[in-house]
Parts: sequence; structure tokens; C-alpha cells
Amino acid sequence: MVTGKASGLSERFVDEILNTVETPIALLDGDGSILRFNHACEALTDYKESDVIGKKVWDFLITDDEIEAVRKVFSKTQTDNLPTQYTNYWKTKNGDRQLIKWSNKTIRMPNRNKIGVLATGIDITHLQSIEHGLKESKAYWRSTIDASPISIITINENGLILTFSQAAEETFGYSEKELVGQNISTLMPEPHHGRHDEYLRHYLETGQRRIPPKGRRIEAKRRDGSTFPALLNVSEFTAGIRIFVGFIEDLSEKEKIEQRLDETNFQLQHADRVGSMGEIATSIAHELNQPLTAAASLIGAVSLRLKKGGCAECSQSMPLLKDAVFEIRRASEIIQQMREFVRKRKTAKSLHDFNKVVEDAGALAIIGAGAEGIEVVWEMAPDAGEVLLDRIQIQQVVTNLIRNGIDAMKSAPKRVLTIATARRGSHVEVSISDTGTGLRKDLENTLFEPFVSSKEHGMGVGLSISKEIIDSHQGKIDAKTRDSGGCLFTFKLPAGANGDVGDYG
Amino acid sequence: MEMSAITAKKTVFLVDDDIAVRRGIAALLLAAGYDTKMFKSGEAFLAALPDLDLDAPVMLADVMLGPVMLVDVCMPGIQGLELPERLNKEGIDLPTIVMTAHGDIPMAVRAMQNGAIDFLQKPFTVDELTAALERAFSFSPCTPVPSQDASPELQRHHQSLTPRENDVFRAIVGGHTNKEIGRILSISPRTVEVHRRKIMAKMRAQNLAELVRMAVALNISD
Repeated sequence: MVTGKASGLSERFVDEILNTVETPIALLDGDGSILRFNHACEALTDYKESDVIGKKVWDFLITDDEIEAVRKVFSKTQTDNLPTQYTNYWKTKNGDRQLIKWSNKTIRMPNRNKIGVLATGIDITHLQSIEHGLKESKAYWRSTIDASPISIITINENGLILTFSQAAEETFGYSEKELVGQNISTLMPEPHHGRHDEYLRHYLETGQRRIPPKGRRIEAKRRDGSTFPALLNVSEFTAGIRIFVGFIEDLSEKEKIEQRLDETNFQLQHADRVGSMGEIATSIAHELNQPLTAAASLIGAVSLRLKKGGCAECSQSMPLLKDAVFEIRRASEIIQQMREFVRKRKTAKSLHDFNKVVEDAGALAIIGAGAEGIEVVWEMAPDAGEVLLDRIQIQQVVTNLIRNGIDAMKSAPKRVLTIATARRGSHVEVSISDTGTGLRKDLENTLFEPFVSSKEHGMGVGLSISKEIIDSHQGKIDAKTRDSGGCLFTFKLPAGANGDVGDYG
Repeated sequence: MEMSAITAKKTVFLVDDDIAVRRGIAALLLAAGYDTKMFKSGEAFLAALPDLDLDAPVMLADVMLGPVMLVDVCMPGIQGLELPERLNKEGIDLPTIVMTAHGDIPMAVRAMQNGAIDFLQKPFTVDELTAALERAFSFSPCTPVPSQDASPELQRHHQSLTPRENDVFRAIVGGHTNKEIGRILSISPRTVEVHRRKIMAKMRAQNLAELVRMAVALNISD
């Protein structure tokens, strides 16, 4: 049995201890009334112990939203089911909220046959805000990484995947969940698949990078086993452990476009050469055929007259003249074969996205235009749709018109090239306008005929080839000088709605 | 120009932009006994039209013959293809022969669809020219122009062609060479030549020009 004196002494001793420690300690009785409220509690809340003794904690210390919960906790003290750990807010005298993590212990009160609660708290308000900040900043950089169109993958120095961004998930077909902890070599085809660990070890030992600072083009492997070209960049940092960050850009679309443009360029150059040759051949054929016709006719006239003359010499000369006409015919046929070469070029029409055809050709034709101070304006009609055409031939026309426009502005003060598409009822239209000097008056009517050129070194076949191509598409090509100066070239093609393409008036 | 029954010759209007061609053909026409009037362009011909006495035909051996026109298909300005159409619009019926480049059958087909009655491939021989001209004169306004539509006889001939021969027929009037036709139809050029002869025989065509004319009448050319 503890004596009153002894208990008095020990109470003072307990007071000392309670008020010395910097830990908030409160003693409550079973119904939540405060029995003790140490200095640390006072410092925390600004309430004096004398003001709060006998008050129930939820009457002033607990925030409104937690009163219910705290009361419930206290109801369990009688059944000894009080949770030993509990975190809740205390409201200070001036209304601030402090988050306290409590360690609770039920005790049998001295001199009172009652159960009390000794609550020892740790103020974790500050900790909480740090944790919150950490969570927020993690969410922030994670969003940043996930917003990147480039796949971002982090690995540790053993090559094991730590994080795998959203773009990476989409590109590779794996979810982050599946890959975290897997070796990065999973994403590589052979031979790198088998060698990556070795690369990594080599780097860690020697510090020699295999990936140049500007990145390296690699083949990467998707979940389905297919591979794709990618640009890989690697950087590293240390956060307790060494972490490597891989930036992987999927190049397949880019390379497809590049390849398509390369092919188009090649085909266009070829078509240009063939077209020029053909156009020259056509013109030569016509020009040469005329004197041949004159010669054959003159010889015919002579042979008719010799026939009438009826002398021996005359009749012996006749077969010679016949042979001469035969040779003239042969020459004409040889020339004609040259001509056939271009005329028989079959158009290979199929359905194409009209804007794309124009854009691809335009992209090639305007290379270098920027360097000459030319501003290129694109005005693509969203409703141009698909058109039945010979892609290379139409692109030949587009590039030809664009290059003409660029050439026309070489010495112009204002240099704007406008490339536009439009849909006009049953037709689609391309117009290319420049801010150059406009059409030369004397060439206006013969512009589309072969060997007509306003350029110093022009051969004058470009526009005649263009006209021939547009004609063979049942289209129409026109040129005029704009009111504001400069040329406007326009060609129309049947749009071929409902597959009807041959009905151009 | 003055035309009397005594000095009357068959008149040919020659339209070509090349002076050497006009001279050469005129010399040939003169030697062959035709009267020639030359024009350097379609425009020049149309401009002179009011002064040309198209309605005064020539009496020759009891047959009345009007003039015919020989025109180059390829000229600056109004082209040979358009002239027959223009004349038609003016109500003038002038039998027209177009001159095309050698082997340009598609152009010949187009010319005949436009109303030309024949074509000549440049350069031509005396015989080719006179044959075409005589045929044109037989179409002149004072003799009833035979219908351009296919006669029942022509249709009968056409129906006697096998499907393969018909393919070759189309290809020929499409302006393809034997070699090309062979490639298109996957047969040897030699076989094409055999088909070609059979077609000419079955259709009773003397030459390519006649075959093309038939194709136009049968409406089987593109």
C-alpha cells in the first residue's frame, strides 16, 4: 500500500519530470477530462494547465471534423481496447492545427478507482508537411516524365529497371508494373540483349561511354518481339545509388517519312529527266518531221513530172526517188520512236490524300527557300480529300510550279510563296503564287508550249510537261499575273467523288 | 479566184504553219494536177473563208466536185483538230484530211471523231496523198456524204472477228505497235501480226487509215 506522503513526494517528482521533458504529455481520465497538461502541452497550445484541468479534450482541443472519432476512441478505454497509437490534430488557442502522433497507455489512477489515459505525443506537423512536399514533388516529376513523348527509363547500375514512363509503356507495349526489377536488356534485340550487362560493367569499370553525347541510333524491341529504330541518349546521376536515365525516341515514323520523301525525290528527279527528254524528243520529232515532209513531197512532185517526161533517164531515176522517199520515211519513224517514249508513258493513277501529295512535293521543292529569304505560306484545305491521280506526275507539276515561283522572286523585294489547296465542287485545286515580277507579256500565250522560257538558262520544258500531265488527268492548268504583282499558277483536277473521275468538262 | 469549167481543177485548201511544207506539198499537188490554195494558219483560213467560193463546184467528167481541205494537226493557234468543228458550226461542209505525225494513230482517231474524213501520216508518198484526196473529193458537198455510222455490212464484218481479234483491233486503233500489243495481250508480236492480217481481211480494210475509219464508225475507239 502506498502511503499518502510517499505518493505526494512522488507526485512532485513526476511533476518535475512531466514539465522538463519537451514531449507533450497529458493525463486524462476515462471520460476525456484533462487531469494533467504538462509544459510541453502548454507550449504547444498556448493554454495554461490551470485553465484546462477538468475540461474535456473534445470541447476545445479537437478539431470539429475529428471530435466524433476521438470520442469513439475514448469510449474504448473502459474495455481496454484503446489503440496504443493514434494521430490527430490539436487546435491551439489561436486556432492553428498541430498534428500529434499519440502513444496512449491506460493506467489505473492512484487514489481513484478509475481508468485513465496517459497520452504521450510527438508533434509531427512539420514532418507531415515535408512528407506532403515529397509526395507532391514526386508526383510533379512523375507527371513531367510521363508527359514526355520520349520514353524515359531509369535503371540501376545492375541494369535493373526502376521506372518506366508512360511513353515507354506505349512504345514498348509493357506496363511499368511488369518491368520494374527486370533487366533493361529485355527491351533490346540480339546482339545487345546478351551483351548489355557487359557494356554496363565495362562502363562502371572504365568510365568509357558507348553512347555518344548526341545519342546513338539503336534498334529496340517491343513486347511482341518486333523491333523499331530509336535514338538513345543516356545520362546518369547518383541518389544514394548510381542511376542511369535512358531517353528513347521512337524514330520509325520519322524514318518512314524521310524514306518516303527520299523516294519521292528520287522518283521526281527521274520523272523530270524522262519528262525533259520526252518533251525535247516530242518537239524535235515535230520540228524535224516538217522538213522531211517537205522533202518527201518535193521528191514526189519531181517523180510525177519525170513520169510525165517519159524519157529513159527519167524512168530510171524514178526508183531512186522512191528509195529517197523511203529513207525519208525511215528517218521520220526513228524520230517518232523517240517521241513515243514519252507519249506512251502510262499514267499509274490511284487514290491519294491530295494534301499529302502536295505537301510532300512542296517540302522537297522549298528546300533552300528559307535561305533565300523566302517565306512559305501553306494553306491546305481540310476538305481536299482523296483524289485519283498519278502521284509522281502530279508532284512533278507541284515541284515545278514551286521552283518557278522561287526563281521568280530571286531579286524581288518581297518574297512570299503561297501554296494552297482547295476543293471547288467536283474539283480539287492547287494554287501557287509568288510575289515576283509576274508573267512576261510576250510569253503569256505561249507559256505552256515547249522551249518557251523567260529564264536565262531555262530550257522551257517544265511548263509544257506540266500541261501535258494535267491534260492527261483531265485537268486544267492556268497562269496569270496577280493584281498585286507576281504570278498565280493554278491547276484543277477532277476530285473523283463517287469514283467518277473521267467526267471533266 | 476564178474558176471556169475549162481550166477547172480540183481545188485543195492546204493549211500548214511551215512554209517549206506548204511549198513541198503544193509542188506535189501541182504535179499531180490539183489546184492549191495555201494558208499559213487556221486563223488565216477562217479569215479568208468569206472570199473562198465554196459553193461553186467544178464540173469534171459530169461529176460536180467541191474543194477539200488538207490541214496539219499540230499548229500554233487553231489546230487542225478544231477546224472541221469550226466549219461545221458555220454550216460549211468541207471534206477535211488531217495530216498527223507518222504513227500518231490516237491523234488520227481524235481527228476523225472531230469530223475529218481521213488522215495522212507525214511524210507521205504520192500514192498515199492522191488516194486520200480522191476519197475526200468523193465526199464533197455535191455528192451525198455517206453516213459515218456503221453500215449493217460493216457491223457484220466486225461481228465476224474473234474476241482476241477484237482485242487486237482495239489495240491497233489505239495506236499501239505490234510489240506493245503483244506485251499487253501476252502474245508474241508475230501472233499479233497474224491477227492484224486476219482483221484487215475480215474487215475488208485496204490500209490502216481505212481500219481507223471503220473503228470510228463502229464507235470502238476510245
